[in-house]
Amino acid sequence: MQNLIEFIQKLRVLFVFLFLQGIAFYFYVSFMTVPKSNYFTTASSFSGTLFEIKHSITKHFNLEENNRNLQIENIKLRSKVPSFLYELQKDSISVQDTIHQQQYHYIPATIINSTTTNRNNFFTLNIGKTQGVNRGMGVFSSKGVVGIIHTASTHFSIVKSVLTSDINMDVMIEGNGAFGLLKWNGEKPNVGDISGITNDIKIAIGSKVITRGGSGIFPKGLPVGRVSAVKPIEGKSVWKIEIAFSEKYNSLENVYVINNLFRKEMIMLENENGEQ
Amino acid sequence: MGQFYTFIFRFLFFVFLQVFIFNQLEINPYVHIMVSPLYIMLLPFDLSVIRLLFISFFLGLFIDVLSNTFGLHASALVFMAYLRPFVFRWFAPRDGYDPIKNPSIFDMGNKWFIFAFGSLLIFHHLWFFAMESFSILEFLLILQKTLPSTLLSFIVCVILQTLLLKKSK
Repeated sequence: MQNLIEFIQKLRVLFVFLFLQGIAFYFYVSFMTVPKSNYFTTASSFSGTLFEIKHSITKHFNLEENNRNLQIENIKLRSKVPSFLYELQKDSISVQDTIHQQQYHYIPATIINSTTTNRNNFFTLNIGKTQGVNRGMGVFSSKGVVGIIHTASTHFSIVKSVLTSDINMDVMIEGNGAFGLLKWNGEKPNVGDISGITNDIKIAIGSKVITRGGSGIFPKGLPVGRVSAVKPIEGKSVWKIEIAFSEKYNSLENVYVINNLFRKEMIMLENENGEQ
Repeated sequence: MGQFYTFIFRFLFFVFLQVFIFNQLEINPYVHIMVSPLYIMLLPFDLSVIRLLFISFFLGLFIDVLSNTFGLHASALVFMAYLRPFVFRWFAPRDGYDPIKNPSIFDMGNKWFIFAFGSLLIFHHLWFFAMESFSILEFLLILQKTLPSTLLSFIVCVILQTLLLKKSK
């Protein structure tokens, strides 16, 4: 009898252990795939507010570099403003542009918390649903792509950065148009991989890697990085391509969230075709 | 009652340390300093295992909420708390544990602490990085992360104890 009670008591500990592990595991899997709520993420108002306080202290650390990056971007944009260009033809007529329609809407944001050394890295942004951020929108900075919005609460949102194991962003190599999926092997925060480019295509080291814009999240042509190494994989007809990211993710602060105004239409069309 | 406040205060202190100091350091991809196992280690000898499991679950969850790890810390700390009684029994002194003493480096001696806490820390880190990668193909990466991280976490935990605790009389 004594032994039986002891046995059950020991088992009770095991049951509690398995129960708590089960909960933790359920949280992990559900939040890694499709988060149903924001209570257990940094997008919750409790931790969001805490990180906003933290950010108000740490934002000064990278201020100089971030300001310089914004200045460089401003110069680039200013060079395209019509009033700064020399007018070759005077008395030009302004026309209502019916050829171009705005497809992408950009929302400025600040990263208030980020990690770059975990296996899966998520960034917290200081804007949320009130500013029009929703799950599935793209995020980029002046130098390159950053990630995709994973979940958004009223005032904060979480970005699944390119430094995660299953980011699978569709990218292409500028020039020859070969495209593959962007992956990250979890080691260096400045090196990524592209998989799926067959080895009959010649790829030059140093060629630019840009977004393909296939899934409608990013516009075509945003910079991702440059090819740093091309190696053959034994027994497979694909290249192992390493790229160096053009953005330094560990000091990144100012980003833009992209809202593709035509995305709903695109998804609807694709679903219609899939059903037939 | 005084012990209860120390318990709560230390809980919040460890969450703060882990989230706002050590998670922000980001030394390199292979080195993660985790001090939260020290909190579980320092809980009294005579605490029941069930309570130990729940305390570590909530400590882990608290850290997870603040660091976008969605349950990784909770899982690893619960695993460590589950192993703690086994490890303590394994390294028990000849005449058993004195419940007045704390499982700290001052009360139990250097040798006991290195073996008991060292082995618990390795299990904790191994579980954490294995769950984080969640792939057998990344076995090498898991080991590459576990070994340096455990070593550094251990050193930081010893330093923390000298700052926090005194030898109990």
